[in-house]
Amino acid sequence: MNPGKLLERLLHLIPVMLGVSAIVFVMMLATPGDPVNIMLGEQQATPEQRQALRKDMGLDLPAPQRFVHFLQNAAVGNFGMSYFHRRPVIEVILERLPATIELTAASLFIGLVLAVPLGVLAAVRKNSWMDRLATVGSLLGISMPGFWFGLLLMLLFGVWMQVLPISGRSDLASQVPVVTQFLTVDALLAWNFTVLGSALRHLAMPALTLGLPMAAVLMRVTRASMLEVLQQDYVTFARAKGLTRRRVLFTHALKNALIPTVTMAALEVGSLLGGSMIVETVFGWPGLGRVVVESIFTRNYPLIQAAILLYALTYVLVNFMADLLYTQLNPRVRL
Amino acid sequence: MKVVKLLILSGLSALAMGASHAADIRVGFGLDALTLDPGNHRSRETETIIRNMYDGLLTRDSKMQVVPELVTSWKQTDVTTYEFKLRPGVKFHSGDEMTSEDIKFTFDRLIKKDMIDGKSSPRAGLLGPLKEVVVVDKYTVLLKLEKPWAILPSMLPFQEVVSKAFVQKVGDKAMATQVNGTGPFKLVEWRRGDSITMERFAGYYGGSPAIPPVGPAKADRVIFKIIPENASRVAALLAGDVDIAAELPAHMIKQIESSRNAQVMKVRGTRSFFVALNNTKPPFNNPLIRRAANHALDKKLLLERVMQNAATPINGVLSPDAFGFEKDLPAYDYNPAKVKQLLTQAGFPNGIDVTLDVEGSFAEIAQAIGSVLTKSGIRTKVVVGEGTVLRNKWLQDKNKTGEMWLTSWGNGSLDPEDIFAPTLNTNDRGNSAGYSNLVVDGLLSAASTETNPTKRADLFSKAQRQVNADAPWIFLWVPEDIYGVSKRLKGWQPSADSRVNLHRAYIQ
Repeated sequence: MNPGKLLERLLHLIPVMLGVSAIVFVMMLATPGDPVNIMLGEQQATPEQRQALRKDMGLDLPAPQRFVHFLQNAAVGNFGMSYFHRRPVIEVILERLPATIELTAASLFIGLVLAVPLGVLAAVRKNSWMDRLATVGSLLGISMPGFWFGLLLMLLFGVWMQVLPISGRSDLASQVPVVTQFLTVDALLAWNFTVLGSALRHLAMPALTLGLPMAAVLMRVTRASMLEVLQQDYVTFARAKGLTRRRVLFTHALKNALIPTVTMAALEVGSLLGGSMIVETVFGWPGLGRVVVESIFTRNYPLIQAAILLYALTYVLVNFMADLLYTQLNPRVRL
Repeated sequence: MKVVKLLILSGLSALAMGASHAADIRVGFGLDALTLDPGNHRSRETETIIRNMYDGLLTRDSKMQVVPELVTSWKQTDVTTYEFKLRPGVKFHSGDEMTSEDIKFTFDRLIKKDMIDGKSSPRAGLLGPLKEVVVVDKYTVLLKLEKPWAILPSMLPFQEVVSKAFVQKVGDKAMATQVNGTGPFKLVEWRRGDSITMERFAGYYGGSPAIPPVGPAKADRVIFKIIPENASRVAALLAGDVDIAAELPAHMIKQIESSRNAQVMKVRGTRSFFVALNNTKPPFNNPLIRRAANHALDKKLLLERVMQNAATPINGVLSPDAFGFEKDLPAYDYNPAKVKQLLTQAGFPNGIDVTLDVEGSFAEIAQAIGSVLTKSGIRTKVVVGEGTVLRNKWLQDKNKTGEMWLTSWGNGSLDPEDIFAPTLNTNDRGNSAGYSNLVVDGLLSAASTETNPTKRADLFSKAQRQVNADAPWIFLWVPEDIYGVSKRLKGWQPSADSRVNLHRAYIQ
């Protein structure tokens, strides 16, 4: 693949980031609410104390100046201080990001591992009881609110059967050295199966809550796409040539059928980043989503700005990777 | 193949194992600490966690009385000076002894500008007119105020003492994540957003003698598990994952009481709820209509059905636990006939149409109130808004546009100074109703400088009676704080100031 093309795509990032920053900044200006008032709450403060807080937060400068400062600092990776944590924003975000990535990755894994085989099966055995069951299952998965589904899982596995922990990321994390900040990976690297088991048990319900609805959507897409591909001339030709069903399916049909699935999965990653907030709250998963929503309510501007930039960046990169994947699945597609 | 078998076996056995130690106390808590620096935050939840690792000069007992903790005694030597005698032999977790240098350093850090990493402490406002701390000798300090402030002792429990040597050694930035306090527990690990683990500090001086038993903590470790969702906290309690589930809503009481291993513990909180009526424009600028609104509320029904009897009705702004609470305030009885009569007298024989603003977490209570009021002719439409936006609308906007607002005001110090003046003094920071009565202003102003407690209480009593007659609000209640507690947990009681101090708690 052309390095020039790659560079061009990466350069596209810059206007996107600028645009997102500007929009978020303006939106926050327009939203009523003052972080100093929120911080002080009902307590009394003298005008000097208020002014001191205001100065600490950088809010004593006019808005355009604040925006320029933000861009200048962001360009070198300095996203300012979180008003409420009183620590650098980048520190707060990086502390919580690995947990969200771990959860998102696990959910994506569950989603794809369930969706692709089931979708293919449903398409190949169209209108059989298997297909009907998968359809019902996926409609349920799409219609159920994640919040409610998560609580149901918690009730079943956490309270009644008591086989999975209710909340948190792990009780034993301190027993393995931190390498990647992804507990499952670190436990594996340390060959410590007790900690790995604990990490997986804590990850199970949140990942299922996010992954199953995603699997439902992706299954529908895979099934529809597979059905269409199976009607194509080249598939009929391959069968006529005398190739085995398996060969036809996996070597010829699947790769093309997966293109819409990859598209949807890339789009779903965006909604996973957002939806993770609800699951993180229900299961006490210490991810970034919760911090961002808390920050919105407390008008913690620096953190909101940095986090949304991060989400935008992730989204663009994930879709770029999806584009790269297309070229592998279908050589006729150019980047 | 052997590796695969090994993997499967290990995995299965790992799945079967539990995690914590028998003598650990686990608390299901709704919010993580923002920082572990006692001087650098403004969050009640952060303080609750920190308070197990850092002690303060004074603290409150379970009856909310202010008692000495790191001091042995204190007295007011003149109108603006208080003398505190420190307890000798108190050790920080590092082993250093606490002296008056640490007290001076702690308070300078709080009240002086730009003392914490070049920024000012957000807690300065909690210390009012505190001007400086003077070291007299190794165990004596003077706290000097700019002007008289009767509630200094009530506000000191909100501050914790840090070690001067430690802060100077590690720096302000590190104070956010490292702990060296005089409290019964020391920090083991802080997993952001997930949990905070503390263990017993063997060298603890024992705690306030006013709150027996005195001695080191009973539990080996305390773990605050961060579980933001109410239903999840209750699930954790019922599954035995936590021993205390804090801050639960009233409708979960039944579920916990019907379980085998947990019970409900309640304590009257310090937050007064009321429906602020817009006194600056029609219809509620007319006192007759405001009184009608109070008569239209079937408080008994609401307390029973909506609050599950976990709230105390009030006829004013103060909690029954507050200083100067007037217990003989007349109640506005539920009287639909009187409502009709008052409305007709005011020129609205066919009733009125109003909107009730409320933020999401209290929407159900507002709906209940709205439907009760509607029955008596005050047709109410409930509008849910975001907390900060509503506070802006009712407290910042010079031209008040709303009609009714279901809201509350906290009174952690349980002194009228912190709630009466802010909410009912003309144009004060919490006066959402736009109420203005110069007589009340005068009484409150006199009370803020009055040093004789009896006279002060009398002034507040007169003010309460006047406010009760003027009815700037629909007076509601003071809710109880509800905790789900494991039956195995002993030695712990909830505290009205939402503290979860585990010094004397243990698992049986």
